[in-house]
Amino acid sequence: MPTPRTDTSHGRRASFASIAAALAASILLLFLALPTGSLVVSGGAAGASGLLRDHELRRAIALSAGAATIATALVALLGTPLAWLLARRRFRGGALVEAVLDLPLLIPHPVAGLALLLLLARDAPLGGALFALGLRVIGTPVGIVAAMAFVAAPLFVSAAREAIARVDVRYEHVARTLGDNGWRAFRRVTLPLAGRGILAGAVVTWARAVSEFGAIVVVAYHPRVASVLAYDRFTSFGIAEALPVAAALVIVALVPLVVLRALRVERAA
Amino acid sequence: MIRIRALQSGSGSFALRFVSLDVESAEYAVVLGAAGAGKTTLLETIAGIRRATGGTIAIDGRDITHEPPERRGVAMVYQHDYLFPHLDVAANIAYGARDRADARAAAELAGAAALLERDVRSLSGGERQLVALARALATRARVLLLDEPFGALDPPRRAAMRRTLRDVQRREPLTVVHVTHDVAEAALLADRIALLDDGALLQTGPAPDVFAHPVSVRAAELLGAENVFAGRVVGRGDGLVEFRTGSLVLHALADESPEGATHAVVHAGEIVVAREAARSSARNSVVGRVSSVTSTGALARIELEVSGTPLVASITASSARELALREGDEVHASWKATAVRLC
Repeated sequence: MPTPRTDTSHGRRASFASIAAALAASILLLFLALPTGSLVVSGGAAGASGLLRDHELRRAIALSAGAATIATALVALLGTPLAWLLARRRFRGGALVEAVLDLPLLIPHPVAGLALLLLLARDAPLGGALFALGLRVIGTPVGIVAAMAFVAAPLFVSAAREAIARVDVRYEHVARTLGDNGWRAFRRVTLPLAGRGILAGAVVTWARAVSEFGAIVVVAYHPRVASVLAYDRFTSFGIAEALPVAAALVIVALVPLVVLRALRVERAA
Repeated sequence: MIRIRALQSGSGSFALRFVSLDVESAEYAVVLGAAGAGKTTLLETIAGIRRATGGTIAIDGRDITHEPPERRGVAMVYQHDYLFPHLDVAANIAYGARDRADARAAAELAGAAALLERDVRSLSGGERQLVALARALATRARVLLLDEPFGALDPPRRAAMRRTLRDVQRREPLTVVHVTHDVAEAALLADRIALLDDGALLQTGPAPDVFAHPVSVRAAELLGAENVFAGRVVGRGDGLVEFRTGSLVLHALADESPEGATHAVVHAGEIVVAREAARSSARNSVVGRVSSVTSTGALARIELEVSGTPLVASITASSARELALREGDEVHASWKATAVRLC
């Protein structure tokens, strides 16, 4: 039987570990929250009023939100089947597919922009073909959507894959023996059961897309999205002019996340 | 009728090996096997959820080996019911039904009509299983595949569910393939039994025949035989054979004893235990010492030692109380020659 002295030393060690962990966690959380918090506090009011009065800011925010919505919809449309495949099937080349999905997360975003430029510019094969079909990519909202989709797609596929993998595959099996083909079983059973996780993935994807700067600034400096406008005003007029744009962008990016968390809390209650 | 020929199906390092099985229309077949024998793999391959890597499956003469699950005309119920949690009971039952009338009729047939308005999360284990059965019946599939459907139920609910299932199967009538590791369940339900071990069928046939004549020691073990003796036939005469195992000599019917038998099987329930020797028609009679008495509900398991050979008898708990059996007591055990199966 352990002696009381040993118990106490264990207890002291445990409480020291707890304090050290709490301290480390606090430093990291402050490091993450302080810059964004101070930006919103400093520029939040100006950003909110700017949304009402500053036409250029309003246009940039609308373009960011609209392009992010289209990019998220496209990524969800193309990414959900891929997420299902990765969650449900083992296939040759699966590791390569996962590596390709990790690419946008591993390369610097301006480099991602350069890669897109190489592929989609008018004098590039794909860009030229699209141009021949009447679709100009570089320097247009189409390019913005492409850049946003490129950097945000891995987040969606990863979240959707996890959400689908959490649904026991035997629900699909039962649905198949009850007369559904594969697609109907997915639509009627897996999708509703994984829906919340997929929606959460879409919200995070949207937030990531709306905040994108590095790839967009290379592919489409004009028309200016909010992040490019913030950078443009910073380099042309200084931080005071850039702050309201940056604060407005942070608020817009955070709104869906806050709504999502609130919904989760409500459901848990 | 289900006709399975040389069926193979892989599942990781495990594979079904050349399984051949016939189940007549309206027959209740039970596939009996230990955990990991391949029971679920077999059902899922029949259902089309797993791909057959060899062999054929035909239902009513139609080859369905490469048909998708939804075109096979089979419905499946798993041990864990897999009721869809985002749907209520009525929607679960109606899931694969052609119309509401079919769903309603299936709910009534399975005894789940009173549950239609309920939320699936409010159902007990037994109720959930009734709903899962109703959901399968609502598809009007003529073949029902049951994967240990009573495994998650307590004994009274299991007995009730068993009655419901047998009743439904006879009334419709349905062709059923039911997999389980439970010998008592197999004995109570099966018209036909198939013994599955390590991915291969050991024996198939009408249930009474399989219980009476296990083809091997492993088959006897799967059928729940407690006493399996290794030995050899040492003599014949008067319609009986003598089988020696250690210092014991067992008498069995000559007509039902194969040449070159190497094992004798005696079910514990066939052995009569007495305090004193009595003249009787039993051809096998030994004296042994009680090494343990274990009560399991209405039955008592008596382990004896007979000249160094262990012997297990199963008697009613009330008989065990009347005999006041204790460890070390000397007792007489007897059983008929018809109770000894040589294989």
